[in-house]
Amino acid sequence: MACPAWADGLAFVVNSGEASISLLDVQQHRELRRIPMLREPHHMALTPDGKSLLIGDTAGNTLFFLDPHTGAVQRQVAVSDPYQLQFSPDGRWLTIAGLARNQVDIYDAASLKLLHRIPLAAMPSHMNYAPDSGVVYVSLQESNRLAAIDTKTGTVLWNAEVGKTPAGVLWSAGRILVGIMGADDIAVVDPASGHVERRVQTGKGAHNLFLSPDGRTLYVCNRVDGTISLLDPRTLVVQRSFRISGGPDDLDFAPDGRIWATRRWAHSVAIIDPATGQFQTVEVGRSPHGIWLNTHEAAPAAPRLTMNAP
Amino acid sequence: MIDPFDAVAGWLQEHALIPVLFRLGWMQWEDVAYGWALFATYGVAQVIATFAICLPLERWRPVERWPDRGAVTVDVLYTLISRVGLLPLVTFVGFYTVQVALNGWLTEHGYVPPTLERFVPALLGHPVLTFLIYAAILDAADYWRHRISHRIGWWWALHSLHHAQRQMTFWSDDRNHLLDDLIGALWFGAIALLIGVPPLQFPLMVLLLRFLESLSHANARLTFGRIGERLLISPRFHRAHHGILAAGQRSCNYGAVLPWWDMLFGTADFSRSYAQTGDPSGEEALATGSYLQQQWAGLRRLGTTIGAPRIGAMRPRARTH
Repeated sequence: MACPAWADGLAFVVNSGEASISLLDVQQHRELRRIPMLREPHHMALTPDGKSLLIGDTAGNTLFFLDPHTGAVQRQVAVSDPYQLQFSPDGRWLTIAGLARNQVDIYDAASLKLLHRIPLAAMPSHMNYAPDSGVVYVSLQESNRLAAIDTKTGTVLWNAEVGKTPAGVLWSAGRILVGIMGADDIAVVDPASGHVERRVQTGKGAHNLFLSPDGRTLYVCNRVDGTISLLDPRTLVVQRSFRISGGPDDLDFAPDGRIWATRRWAHSVAIIDPATGQFQTVEVGRSPHGIWLNTHEAAPAAPRLTMNAP
Repeated sequence: MIDPFDAVAGWLQEHALIPVLFRLGWMQWEDVAYGWALFATYGVAQVIATFAICLPLERWRPVERWPDRGAVTVDVLYTLISRVGLLPLVTFVGFYTVQVALNGWLTEHGYVPPTLERFVPALLGHPVLTFLIYAAILDAADYWRHRISHRIGWWWALHSLHHAQRQMTFWSDDRNHLLDDLIGALWFGAIALLIGVPPLQFPLMVLLLRFLESLSHANARLTFGRIGERLLISPRFHRAHHGILAAGQRSCNYGAVLPWWDMLFGTADFSRSYAQTGDPSGEEALATGSYLQQQWAGLRRLGTTIGAPRIGAMRPRARTH
């Protein structure tokens, strides 16, 4: 497929309900075109070398490789149920959670060779790594648990109950934060034991967590309340809250400081001014889920905690 | 502009379904709930569009006029259950669960379910064409499901509920025994596993196809002309399938949307005029009973026909009136 060569300044939005990727102009806040997928794409991850953006099409059982600068499809690889995907901070591993098939696969990032398949009931969804890449933490939505997996051996180190329908997972300041979608809080979990040390109330349906590029703000999307909470990442004190209707889900951060958020049930992306909470919308496809802007400084080997919906 | 159906489904999801799921502790099913919201919204649109178009047609050029339309009322209930209410929810969740379980098992054994686009890579990027090919494949598969259901005794016992209606209208498309619907869903699921059917990518086109299926049952003297009838199934063509002389294994015109499969496999009959519908071999409850009476009568008939592989073994029963 012929693709115009765009300068950096593209937002990739995964329309999970209509099998396409919307390509948006970050400067002009408009949709440029749609890239067809197969069935039901959800999330994406940039390869450690920065040359490909991987998009997992779950029902299509396919991993799409896209040029992160143009959106051109580079290749497709058959992979079973690639729902959530994330490269480890050291760039060595690629972990793929199969939400529908209750499995977590750990691949060699360079060769895409499957190293470990870990059956994990039920509904493994979001994930994040320890900074040393030694452990990946995966939330299990249906069984209310969080599992810690040794990335080298594929061994489950612990599997602990953390709250009703856990979703987003984020390593932050030596602890694991987990969005508890079936309640109104985030659980603060000890990475060594899986023990919930405390809970921080944010809003009903606390779903996903993102750290701002400057590390000063932690954003939590509250799916049921239709809000985004802003927390101090060190103290976890809630400072403010924005009202973002339409089921806010994944976020990414633009160079001008604005926050781009997918609105799952509103066919659109909200572009939020973090100073005021005011937002404008750009229409995309049905059920927009993952979002990634190619405007970041290229540092692909480092974990981008804000991307790929951890 | 956002598709108005999607806007309604999004509103339903945010303001009705999500609060309920949250309260019940079922937030892990939010994606499935959204799928159902879309399904139900388009289902309502299907019913309204079908009603708005088919009712005037039936009033304008009816094949038959009935002083008492009581039997039609039950068909309305079938339609609402099938297109808006419980059935889409059960089918959606059930289909999802079965598909995931089967896919998981197949994957464990080294088989990743394919898609049509993987067989024909050129189709990627041409979603409408892809959908039309899928629709044709599914229509062909449905032709054989339907044809076989007439040939196997126990299956016909269930399917005869659909044929029992003597007051056939556009509402009759969904009058099926629940077990017959279940078999249809499994059949559809098996095909989906083989070719990877896109479920909700093209709801408007699904709406159009379902409308054509409803229209083919309309109590209207409507033909698409000599050429048109060979492209799409008309009420006249499908009525021949429901004719009392065609009930059971000797039937013709099994297709749902495209008449091509009947033409290809020698079961097309374009010659018949507007026949009287119904199945004289079935008991009266199948035709004029309440919803539950019809379902129960279908089970009774199933019980009497197990072990009888061909419907030729079944004896017609006298009408009670």
